[in-house]
Amino acid sequence: MNLTVQVAGKSDLGCVRTNNEDNYGYDTRYGVFVVCDGMGGQAAGEVASKMGVDTILEYFRKAGTDTGKYPVEGAVLEGVSESANALASSIRLANRSIFEAASKDAGHAGMGSTVVAALVKGSFLSIAHVGDSRIYLIRKDSIQQLTNDHSLVMEQVRRGLITQEEAERSNMQNIIIRALGSEETVEPDVDDMVAQPGDILLLASDGLTKHVKDNALLSLVRGAPTLTQACDALIQAARDDGGDDNITCVLIRMVEQPWYRRWFGKGNPQWQNSI
Amino acid sequence: MAKLYLKFEQAVLKEVTVTQGGMVTIGRLPDNMIQVDNLAVSGHHSKIYWETDHYVVEDNNSLNGTFVNNQKISKVTLKDGDNILVGKHTITFKDEWHEDEPEQRVPTAILPAVPQMEATVVLDTKKAKELMAQARALRDGVPAPPPAAPAAAGPTASGTMPAVAPTPPPPPPPPAKERTGMLTVLEGKTDQPQYVLSGKLTVIGGAAQATVKLKGSMFRRPPDVAAIVRKQDNKYFVASQDKKANLKLNGADLDHQQELQEGDTIEVFGVKLNFEYHD
Repeated sequence: MNLTVQVAGKSDLGCVRTNNEDNYGYDTRYGVFVVCDGMGGQAAGEVASKMGVDTILEYFRKAGTDTGKYPVEGAVLEGVSESANALASSIRLANRSIFEAASKDAGHAGMGSTVVAALVKGSFLSIAHVGDSRIYLIRKDSIQQLTNDHSLVMEQVRRGLITQEEAERSNMQNIIIRALGSEETVEPDVDDMVAQPGDILLLASDGLTKHVKDNALLSLVRGAPTLTQACDALIQAARDDGGDDNITCVLIRMVEQPWYRRWFGKGNPQWQNSI
Repeated sequence: MAKLYLKFEQAVLKEVTVTQGGMVTIGRLPDNMIQVDNLAVSGHHSKIYWETDHYVVEDNNSLNGTFVNNQKISKVTLKDGDNILVGKHTITFKDEWHEDEPEQRVPTAILPAVPQMEATVVLDTKKAKELMAQARALRDGVPAPPPAAPAAAGPTASGTMPAVAPTPPPPPPPPAKERTGMLTVLEGKTDQPQYVLSGKLTVIGGAAQATVKLKGSMFRRPPDVAAIVRKQDNKYFVASQDKKANLKLNGADLDHQQELQEGDTIEVFGVKLNFEYHD
């Protein structure tokens, strides 16, 4: 059975910030979905996250129209699919654009961004990330975090230096150890998996996941009749808990579609450029 | 709702939520929600679930038993803070419904104090390594002076770092030789006679991206993804992805994930494959 995707995305200022440094975009024609969370003063964070989203979408649009082949940027990762490598290449390109922009323009010095990206091809799913934005998989009545934050505290938890509880109370939660644009090269984490009908992927910035814990994410998404309403509910929950950061979420549902629906059905929105 | 923290010594390896009406399974096999990859743990060792109005832990006749607060149990009600011992791993049960006041435990002073910051900060690779070394020194009880200049927001320059001897990397997992699996086609039509399973994910199916491409026939198109073989911790696990593919392992129907052993035979959509490790 063929899987197709439904998608909804939303970004919100939150209750405290005056500018939105998050960004997101997708293009279902190429199956690519991106969320970026920018950082850096004087609007530089907004620039960085927008560059991140645009560069990645552009990479897949260009590869899709030119040759169908994904140009390789940086090293080819062993043991993962071509799709996962394509995500890694697009992220390395985004890193380079942001890094170069930051070094050219004094106003943009120190800007950077996190990224989470997914590439969906039928039931084949590849994911990649840098920083502390996250991807979750909601399958039936379970939720699983597919990414490991590149943050200092989570790295310390992984190495057994502090406990999960200490991490959640740490005042160093805002320190990330990998980002787009902070160094000349970056290594994204990538993975491959096979989706099942009904699976939902959630791509989110830490403005959501700091405030809404895994099981609440699950029940909010499961409780909403549509993906758009689910996005609204997630953002509202983060705002209700303080909303001290920008909040962004993209939801992707894998749906089984009979052939006649694929041929004659009305289309879903196909793409959304960066905001 | 309650939280389960899987710990090995002091390190928290995993956090799982169990809800009222829900169940969490614990065992060595990967189909468990809490997988404890240790030979002292049975395949399906024990389970934690909601019963009427409380959580219970029940041992599934495991070989080495399940212990709650050092008492061997077969089934027992859980209360906040209970420690469940499975093999050498501990699972701490935190009932968030009845949670008391936030405990006045050691605050997070384990970490060097930094001024509270709102904005996200990126550490470059070098500074990140320094901070990791410092945290390790603190944990190990080596007195590490606080960062010299608190005014330097957060991560301090290398010059002000305490003289921490370069600590060895965290205890490496038992050195296991990297093993690579191989599938050999015994019967049926595929695109190659043999496949070396070097990737993390091997897909068996009719899709263009499949590693093991099933050909089917004019009348019978194979499912895009019939089965997958996943490599995890130097082991291979096979799982069915499509009921129509009729996955069999050594002749028996397989509806859950199963570890592959040397010499196993996988049958899927009329294709028979032999699994072995390849040197």
